[in-house]
Amino acid sequence: MAVITISRGAFSLGKIVAEKVAERLHYDVISREILLDASTRFNVPEIKLEKAIHDAPGILERYRHSKQSYVAYIRSALVERIINDNVVYNGLAGHLLIKGLPHVLKVRITANIESRVAIEMERNQIPAQEARILIQEDDKQRLKWTHALYDHDPRDASLYDLCIFIDKLSVDNAVDFICRAAESEAFRATDKNKQKIKDLATACRVKATLVDEFPNIAVTCEYGNVLVYISKDQATGKLIKKLNTIRDNMNDIYHLETHTGVPVPTDAV
Amino acid sequence: MPIIIISSDVRDIEEKIAKEVALMMDYQLLDRRVLPDIEMRHQIDPGKLSESMETTPSVFKKMTSRQWRYYLACIEANVFEALLKDKIVCWGLSAHLFTTNVSHAMKVRILSINNWNSGKNSEQKGGTSQGADKLIAEKVQQRKKWSMTAYNHDETDPSGYDLVINLDQIDPVEAVKTITNAVEYLKFQPMTYSIKCLSDLALAAKVNVRLLKHMVDIKVQARDGSVVVLTKASNRQKRKKIAAIKDLAGSIEGVRYVEVHVKKNILGETAGNSF
Repeated sequence: MAVITISRGAFSLGKIVAEKVAERLHYDVISREILLDASTRFNVPEIKLEKAIHDAPGILERYRHSKQSYVAYIRSALVERIINDNVVYNGLAGHLLIKGLPHVLKVRITANIESRVAIEMERNQIPAQEARILIQEDDKQRLKWTHALYDHDPRDASLYDLCIFIDKLSVDNAVDFICRAAESEAFRATDKNKQKIKDLATACRVKATLVDEFPNIAVTCEYGNVLVYISKDQATGKLIKKLNTIRDNMNDIYHLETHTGVPVPTDAV
Repeated sequence: MPIIIISSDVRDIEEKIAKEVALMMDYQLLDRRVLPDIEMRHQIDPGKLSESMETTPSVFKKMTSRQWRYYLACIEANVFEALLKDKIVCWGLSAHLFTTNVSHAMKVRILSINNWNSGKNSEQKGGTSQGADKLIAEKVQQRKKWSMTAYNHDETDPSGYDLVINLDQIDPVEAVKTITNAVEYLKFQPMTYSIKCLSDLALAAKVNVRLLKHMVDIKVQARDGSVVVLTKASNRQKRKKIAAIKDLAGSIEGVRYVEVHVKKNILGETAGNSF
């Protein structure tokens, strides 16, 4: 069984596709629940999390690093949710938040701007011009957000396993493609893949605990062995104390150590 | 039957997938092996068409912009002619860039750069993975530039395709099955409108080749045998050019009426050059 992330622009029918895929495969669909989870676990208002994952960081936020903290909380909540597999995530940035896991099928649904405008006009009863401006603004925010936090272009096809242009195909055709791919051998949750997701959840938990005070740290985890990558100026007594608390409180950590001044691996969170 | 057009960032993969799909569907393959025939038909030097598909014209290269446009037009016209025959899997000829309006042409992009790069390619060339990354990034940029110059369309933009499959995780066999299944969908079945659209494009391409052999700044549209040619000319040459276009285009089989729209060519006016 697999985990499926469905990325799409606003009004590209991605939500309907996600729901139909989940229905056919008997998977759970998750989207906004992640924000509620993160909000409860990390005691942050949901509206702030929603803004953090939707809007590109402003100039002040880039210095305050609050967006990094919120994204780390959302990521942690998302990974905890997908740990048991059989999930379709159709919220924002799924392909970036849980990248590096082989059994996650990353799908992008694209649609022509004209058909998106038509859907928004009908749904919100607004004129075409207004609908077009809203969609373009939303796309712009997604582009800026992905560039600022992950240095990627969300339209880059190499970020996904499947890109489906929904205009020419129907929703059912897209569902066929996705279900077929999800059921293939490559996306099976093997024991190794399950371990990887557990390790990612541990790394995300550690990162979420530290990110508020140490925004630039990076964390990896392999079979419960956690490595925290820090810069030389971050190696303070405060961090050591915090790491000791983490080591004592998290049962799934076998070993925790810090690496100072070494290059951060690309799969670090 | 539908037409399947395969495009990829890696030529080997493009060929492999196209061949597998053609074999499975019992379709004909249309690829660069047709180029020598086209060269012979249009009396073009051997290898020039292949070169035109890889490079863009520049003042430092031997191929001028005029020649380059003519070579591409020749390829386009012949590809359209072949596509009219149906049951075709086309690859390596950039057909996805000039068949955007043909709804029964299923356009599939296969991505496999990471797979290919991290595996055999970097090892075979004895280089580092970073070096191979750089090489591939340059190649992608080159293709992007080529497609933008030739057809004003970014080849790497996923919205130009019906389906993009990344082979980093998906097995090529699975990708082939996905493509062959998708061909059965109603949306890819030839309809009266899409067949007409393809034959109009084929006629326009045929007229384009004939005109580009003799002149530059030509854009051709065709509909039900009526051809509209957009061009540029100075005031002095306007009448002469219109007559020449009508003469050349009118002699092509299938053309019933030719309409020429001329824009004023300010540069031509001062230089006083020919077509």
